[in-house]
Amino acid sequence: MDQKDKVPLFKSWTHWYVLVIGFLIVLIILFSWITKTFA
Amino acid sequence: MTATDWLVIILVLSGIIVYGLYKSRTTKNLDGYFLSNRSMPWWLVLLSIMGTQASAITFLSGPGQAYADGMRFVQYYFGIPLAMVVISVTFVPIFNRLKVYTAYEFLEQRFDSKTRTFTSFLFLLQRGLSTGISIYAPSIILSALFGWDIFWTNIGMGGFLIIYTVSGGARAVAYTQKIQIILIFVAMFLAGWAIIGLLPQHIGFTDALRVSGKLGRMNVITSGHSGSGFDWNDRYNIWSGIIGGFFLSLSYFGTDQSQVGRYLTAQNNRESKLGLLINGLVKVPMQFFILLVGVLVFAFYQFNPSPLSFNDSLITDVQHSSYRDSLKLLQAEYDSVNGVRQKLLGDLHPEQLRQDGAFGDTIRKLNQRTEFYKAAFKKISAKATHKDPNDTNYVFLSFVKHHLPIGLKGLLIAIIFLAAWGSIAAALNSLAASTVVDFHQRFWGRNKPVNEYRISRWYTLGWGLFSILIAQFSTKLGQSLIEAVNVLGSLFYGVILGIFLVAFYMKRVKGTATFIAALVVEVFVVLLFFNEQIPQLKWLPDISFLWLNAIGALGVAALSALLQAFFYDRK
Repeated sequence: MDQKDKVPLFKSWTHWYVLVIGFLIVLIILFSWITKTFA
Repeated sequence: MTATDWLVIILVLSGIIVYGLYKSRTTKNLDGYFLSNRSMPWWLVLLSIMGTQASAITFLSGPGQAYADGMRFVQYYFGIPLAMVVISVTFVPIFNRLKVYTAYEFLEQRFDSKTRTFTSFLFLLQRGLSTGISIYAPSIILSALFGWDIFWTNIGMGGFLIIYTVSGGARAVAYTQKIQIILIFVAMFLAGWAIIGLLPQHIGFTDALRVSGKLGRMNVITSGHSGSGFDWNDRYNIWSGIIGGFFLSLSYFGTDQSQVGRYLTAQNNRESKLGLLINGLVKVPMQFFILLVGVLVFAFYQFNPSPLSFNDSLITDVQHSSYRDSLKLLQAEYDSVNGVRQKLLGDLHPEQLRQDGAFGDTIRKLNQRTEFYKAAFKKISAKATHKDPNDTNYVFLSFVKHHLPIGLKGLLIAIIFLAAWGSIAAALNSLAASTVVDFHQRFWGRNKPVNEYRISRWYTLGWGLFSILIAQFSTKLGQSLIEAVNVLGSLFYGVILGIFLVAFYMKRVKGTATFIAALVVEVFVVLLFFNEQIPQLKWLPDISFLWLNAIGALGVAALSALLQAFFYDRK
């Protein structure tokens, strides 16, 4: 793999998938809490 | 509008034009004009991607959408984070390796000339039309606030940004977007801060959210289920957001030249990817924040008199029509209910907001009555003026005009212009790139030695003028502008994405099968969308536009595979 073709910041794309799916789950939990608290 | 507000607007806008012209110095060839010589760092790519997507429509209709329908629109963006990773893994390395100017060049290498031409044509059609709407959006600000003629306002609005876009190409676009996006967020934050300051003294930020929440505006997460199961026609829910939004984002960021052109300006693969990935992480919180401003505006109007319509000029028109007496009666009853609501909320102790008892029921009923009178006004105004009675786009502007302090009012109006300029400039640059590279070079300029740099500038100017022309016809659009653009995109994006997915993942499928499948599915998607208007097609299911992206993409993939297997592989 070209040096500049590397995955940014992490070792593999799996880390990025885990990060964004985890991030989305956290957001959904937070937004669900907001919906439940204020709606 | 005071002289101070005018001064702020003139300083901000002229500053951007001068800065854009200052950053226009680039090499006079296609690489310099369309790709800024592939020299941008990731953070500039990020700001450019954000500035391209966040148009004036985002800042005009976003808060209005939250005011009218609540926070649930944020779910529309749930597909973006995952789509950014898929694009970084699949699309970016190929585009960079092939050193393409447009995404559609790749399709000729993978398939054939006709598939490239068809896909590029769909892009030009969709982007050309939606850029026209993007010019119209800020024009309604001036038109509604100052009574300026919409025709001349559209022309003026489209003209200023063309100056630096024609002059400096992608480099000027990226550098101006950097300043624009920073100013936009500072101004929106200040607006949110100012709204909280305008609430009654005993009502804080969370109290305002509770008031809005009791009236259905804090519906951030919705399941899309009604009493009779899942509602496929429900526009914004968690499933249409994640699945439909994923396909839409994949198509918009992966195959729309207005976005592809932004990350192709990056220094290398890594910088392109990083710009996209960070965009995926910041987009949902950013949209949440914009919608929150709309919810705060909604809360503000529960404690303060709200107009029957946020479109001031519509009320004036009805006052001068034969329906003026009906309006007087309606206004009196509306003011009376508004007064009761304000009195109730004015005497409110914040502790009462935390209990959902009789108090919650009372303000919900009062709110229903005000909604009833607003709906009645829409009917009257439609009969009296034959104009669009929907005031969603006017909510935020009307609030800015009537309630924000001097200086901040000017800044808010200026940033709406800036947001428009950022996305329109990128669109014009990409439209010109696609016209020059996908059409002019191949069909008209093959055997003629031409100055490509000069031709590119002329095409940029031409698309700018075309978009202004489309803006003149946008006044007929009835629904929220942000939805109009998204609906338009969804008619074409699914099919474009389908073509690229076949190119990347289905190596056995060739050009002709893909081309025929794309044509058939495009016709089907358009018919599916307009099935309500065509009596012979009423039997088709009524589905929300977000699903069209998934149907288009999966439809092209499935049909092209079938065609390849049954007709071409057997030969």
